[in-house]
Amino acid sequence: MVHKGETVGIVGESGCGKSVTALSVLRLIPDPGKIVGGHIFFKDREVTRMSAEELREFRGNDVAMIFQDPMTSLNPVLRIGFQIKEAMVAHERFDNNAAEERVVPMLKKVRIPAPKDRAKNYPHQFSGGMRQRAMIAMGLSNEPGLLIADEPTTALDVTVQAQIIELLRDLNREMGTAVVLITHNLAVVASLCTRVIVMYAGRIVEQGPTRQIFYNPQHPYTWSLLQSIPRIDSTQHDKLLTISGLPPDLSNPPPGCLFHPRCRFRVDRCSKQEPPLEEVGPGQDARCWVLMKNALAGAESTS
Amino acid sequence: MWQDAWRRLRRNRLALVGMAIVTILILTAIISAFWTPYPVWIQSLGPTYQGPTAKHLFGLDDSGRDILSRLMGGAQVSMIVGVGTATLSSIIGIVLGLLAGFYRGWVDAVVSLLINIFYGLPDLLIVLLIVAVTQQRGLQNIILAISLTAWLGMARLVRGQTLSLREREFVEAARSVGTRDVHLLIRHIFPNALGPIIVQATFVIPAAILFEAFLSYLGFGVKPPTPSWGAMASEGYRSLQFAPHIILIPAAALCLTLMAFNFMGDGLRDALDPRMRR
Amino acid sequence: MTRGTLIYIGQRLLLITLTALIVSSIVFIGVHQLPGNAFLSERSPNPLAEQQLVHHYGLDRPWPVQYVSWLTGVLHGDLGESLVNRGVKITPLVLREARVSATLGFWAMVFTITLGMSLGILAAVKQNTLLDYVASFCAVIGYSMPSFVTATFLVLLTVTGFFAWSGGLVYENIGWGKPEQIPVPAISLGLLPSAIIFRLTRASMLEVIRQDYVRTAWAKGLRSRIVIIRHALRNALIPVITILGPITTGVITGSIVIEYIFGIPGLGKEFINSIANRDYNVVIGVFTFYAILVGIANLLVDLVYPILDPRIRSDGHLTQLFRARCHFRRHRHLRSR
Repeated sequence: MVHKGETVGIVGESGCGKSVTALSVLRLIPDPGKIVGGHIFFKDREVTRMSAEELREFRGNDVAMIFQDPMTSLNPVLRIGFQIKEAMVAHERFDNNAAEERVVPMLKKVRIPAPKDRAKNYPHQFSGGMRQRAMIAMGLSNEPGLLIADEPTTALDVTVQAQIIELLRDLNREMGTAVVLITHNLAVVASLCTRVIVMYAGRIVEQGPTRQIFYNPQHPYTWSLLQSIPRIDSTQHDKLLTISGLPPDLSNPPPGCLFHPRCRFRVDRCSKQEPPLEEVGPGQDARCWVLMKNALAGAESTS
Repeated sequence: MWQDAWRRLRRNRLALVGMAIVTILILTAIISAFWTPYPVWIQSLGPTYQGPTAKHLFGLDDSGRDILSRLMGGAQVSMIVGVGTATLSSIIGIVLGLLAGFYRGWVDAVVSLLINIFYGLPDLLIVLLIVAVTQQRGLQNIILAISLTAWLGMARLVRGQTLSLREREFVEAARSVGTRDVHLLIRHIFPNALGPIIVQATFVIPAAILFEAFLSYLGFGVKPPTPSWGAMASEGYRSLQFAPHIILIPAAALCLTLMAFNFMGDGLRDALDPRMRR
Repeated sequence: MTRGTLIYIGQRLLLITLTALIVSSIVFIGVHQLPGNAFLSERSPNPLAEQQLVHHYGLDRPWPVQYVSWLTGVLHGDLGESLVNRGVKITPLVLREARVSATLGFWAMVFTITLGMSLGILAAVKQNTLLDYVASFCAVIGYSMPSFVTATFLVLLTVTGFFAWSGGLVYENIGWGKPEQIPVPAISLGLLPSAIIFRLTRASMLEVIRQDYVRTAWAKGLRSRIVIIRHALRNALIPVITILGPITTGVITGSIVIEYIFGIPGLGKEFINSIANRDYNVVIGVFTFYAILVGIANLLVDLVYPILDPRIRSDGHLTQLFRARCHFRRHRHLRSR
């Protein structure tokens, strides 16, 4: 669930289903995939039941999405300014001239230098970071309630990454647009999001306020992820922790908890029954039978 | 990689149909060298323009010749021209392409110049000119004439492949062990370009058959009485209204042959290109 | 028009002229190497008259001299005089017949592009439906049918079928000059190329529709029509336009046979006749004209290409475009995907 103006991060390995979840919100899943069950609500409207026309109005207007690779996500034969204007004109909130006038200010807002000239450029004339900014401008041009960013920084280098994240943070504050940030990079989540959702094998395994998740992870997967980040103050002899094994094949999932084959804290029950997502702390939920607070306490008591 | 390709090819039903038809064609061509129901040149075997009967399965043409026998003879002509051109033009094209791509320098300059100049020029016109002007109508001349325009395509392909392959590490590795250039070209570069080469050569065959058909339709093909499907179609055009079988049968044979080779070529291309996915 | 573009056009025009000259020179020289009597048909048995004729055409001069004089003539637009029909200047002849061939070619291209592109787009948008399979299958049959076969088929249809049915109104077999004589030859000429265009358009559309920027377009909430036309098609048509150069060449080639069959007094028929009559002056003249025509067609395609694809718009057109064209020409034998 995403609250108004909130920033939420969705973290997980490649293939864990975070992109698919995001695409489902806008019903952009390519054939032959389709939504088979469940609900998606946006401000009391059921997205899965929207007609084609309602869906079209919904996309880019109430909810906007930006994608991972800005080079391939922008039409190479159309000017940037035009593509941004197009997003606005499509929803009939602005007529042609009004939309035209909003383009340059939008570009300025995403901190693209020389916006008037740049609006006439083509995507291949932009650098990677600038293209991503242009995509953000395009996404926010209709002032949507929610912006979904699918790995917006993965294709960029680290310095540019930081700039984009900062931009998203400022825009979130200024415009009040909620942001859902999908990434596998924990650092990015830490610097932007107030809430985090951790996914594994298509399930949410933990969610809660960022600080809590980072300092007090309850699900073994989250805990292992955090542990596996190399620390700058570690000595030569500290071993780098990894999570052994591979994500499960979802056409043939393991019984019980989907993470249990790779979990070092598993107990008998884990291989038999899948745990439900339950509250484990103030605003924090986890899907685990054991929970870290118990696992660590147990380890302490045995050593 | 070859077993993979073979497996993929086997799954492509259209290509298999094509290959089957091609096989039948080759067999017919070979058989007709030794035997046809009736000799192809004998006239007045019955009433002219006669339609299909039990004795003459495809009927008789305007001079009373048995169409079935002529069809088989035409298969022979088509196959010889097709395969002959493909072979000749491929050899020339591969050799020149390898040399041009590998050595660059003046060889490449000349080859590239030739390719760029003759690119886009209507091949048929050039072939027509060569055949007509040299005034020789034998099969060899036709094969030669068509090959003279067809080698360009193969040369360009091979040149491109060579250019990219020579930058690969295995070439450097082989060089560093002291391999001689010729050996490099033949044993290292050529086999790696083999896939596209095969596909290209396969597509040359129907193109050559088509050219030959055009040539004989216009009267510049093999000398009568050697049968050629194009010539048969041309002769049959006049009697289109009352004896359509004379033109329709060789025309159908021609189309079927071309289709078969095209299916086969498509199948080969898809089978040999590891990046394709359905 | 930037300076760069003008320079580029200049470069290409030069290349075209050079090509046309080189090619026709080769033809000229090649033809002139044949034994002298090949030039004049076995008409004037009178050796004196023959001498006069030879002199009139300047054929008694050493061939390099002939070549230079011919070359100068060509550079002034004078393609010489017909060998068989005395006094008939070739250039006006060629131009007159070129108009006829151009009309035929134009309508054939209209047919080709309209049918090929529209079906290609439809088949791609409705991939794997019945329409797609049927159209794709027909396309393979289409490009296995030589133009004379298509012509035969159509003639059979119209002369026996339509003709009778429409009371003789639809089609008269031979000749040229009436508008209803255009469709059958034009369709015969245009069917095979339309199959090629169909395959290319379909494959290109399929590839483009899968691209990220089309997904972005959907995510923006644009109307279907806009996504398909402005986003998908704009990009998908780029390789198709590129192939129009070789397609034009193919149409020119095919027109030779079609004009022969239908008795259309165009350039192709002239080419065949003059070859048969050994009127080599005309042959060379027609060939030179074709070479220039093809060059211009390819130049036009290369000029249009940067308009469609802004990524190509820069200096250094020449090598880039050659490479781009080479790449796309190979795609003629098309992916059936």
